[in-house]
Amino acid sequence: MQSSDGTIVRRVLAGDAEQYRILVERYRAEFGRYAVASVGDLDAAQDAMQEAFIRAFDALATCRDPDRFGAWFFRILTNQCRNVLARRRDTVPLDDVDPPGGGRADEGLERGELGAALEAALARLTPEQREAFVMKHVDGRSYDEMAELLGVGVDALKMRVHRARDALRTMMGALR
Amino acid sequence: MMEWDRFSADAHRYLDGEPFEELSGAELAAADRLAAEARDYAARLATVDAALDEAVMAAVRDRATAERRRGLGWLLAPRTVRLRPVWVPVLAAAAGLVLWLAPRGREVEVAAAPARAIADTVFVRFELAAPQARTVSVAGSFNGWQVGALTMVKDARGVWSATAPLPVGEHRYEFVIDGTRWVPDPTAHAEVDDGFGGLNSVIVVGPKGLVRS
Repeated sequence: MQSSDGTIVRRVLAGDAEQYRILVERYRAEFGRYAVASVGDLDAAQDAMQEAFIRAFDALATCRDPDRFGAWFFRILTNQCRNVLARRRDTVPLDDVDPPGGGRADEGLERGELGAALEAALARLTPEQREAFVMKHVDGRSYDEMAELLGVGVDALKMRVHRARDALRTMMGALR
Repeated sequence: MMEWDRFSADAHRYLDGEPFEELSGAELAAADRLAAEARDYAARLATVDAALDEAVMAAVRDRATAERRRGLGWLLAPRTVRLRPVWVPVLAAAAGLVLWLAPRGREVEVAAAPARAIADTVFVRFELAAPQARTVSVAGSFNGWQVGALTMVKDARGVWSATAPLPVGEHRYEFVIDGTRWVPDPTAHAEVDDGFGGLNSVIVVGPKGLVRS
């Protein structure tokens, strides 16, 4: 039987820093896919995750509900991913990013190419839309799970996902 | 200006796995295509592997080591903590304490001691508002920077306090929350570099119980 997050957090705070590895393994597996999809490449995702874990360790004593460490950590990770996206947008104007496939992707693109098209289209969403779409359609989470992790209401999350789908449909004309 | 090509409400309900009324064949195909592309994209995603765990733990160990060194450094060289103790000079209590501690065989000398004790020792009250903390103690130059040597007690408002007799002179200290987190006094007036990138609060106990911080 695995120890609860709360038990591990309390052990770490009591001085057993090695126990933190359990949380790192647990939530690297849980949120790694989200991080990669959220920032768009593995290196940036690893950087964001590493920074998030270290920040969480430094601030562990401020985690008000250690039994919900995962949700608390996820918000730190979300902020790190948004920082990555913000820095990228500061350096690469979105208008310079062409939709993959040149627009109408139904004109001869194969499945794999459309997967790449989706990846590029995701980069054009707002951070909120992107994280909501990724959590719903890439991680396969329910709206209730998303609400728990993000601290945002289900209705607001549905709106973000719906807008993301509409934007993706427009950007990827193949979806008509 | 980008023209938005929206899914219908029913298409969104379909994609959300909720009951829906009616979908055209084209919209059903578009919805299925988006879901399929998302699955395809997810299947091709690179994964964050276990190498990350070691990188994080290396940083964590560095921090834990630095924290221990910081504690040792305090033993060797005073450092600054941000704490503003509330000084409560209880001179009579100090004199009583000195008398109580004095060896019986030195009663003649002890008879002269109260005046010195009154002048040389002052009871100081430390306070820190930390409602979320599980334990708080005061570590400083006056107790060898030992975590837990001076434990504090929390009241109903979440304010922790402890009182300790301090000799006349300059002292440096910090609060230790939950045994690991060193916190300077947020209301301290004086701070000094601790030599480890942090700050220590400074408090000065005067011969008549006056305190400067």
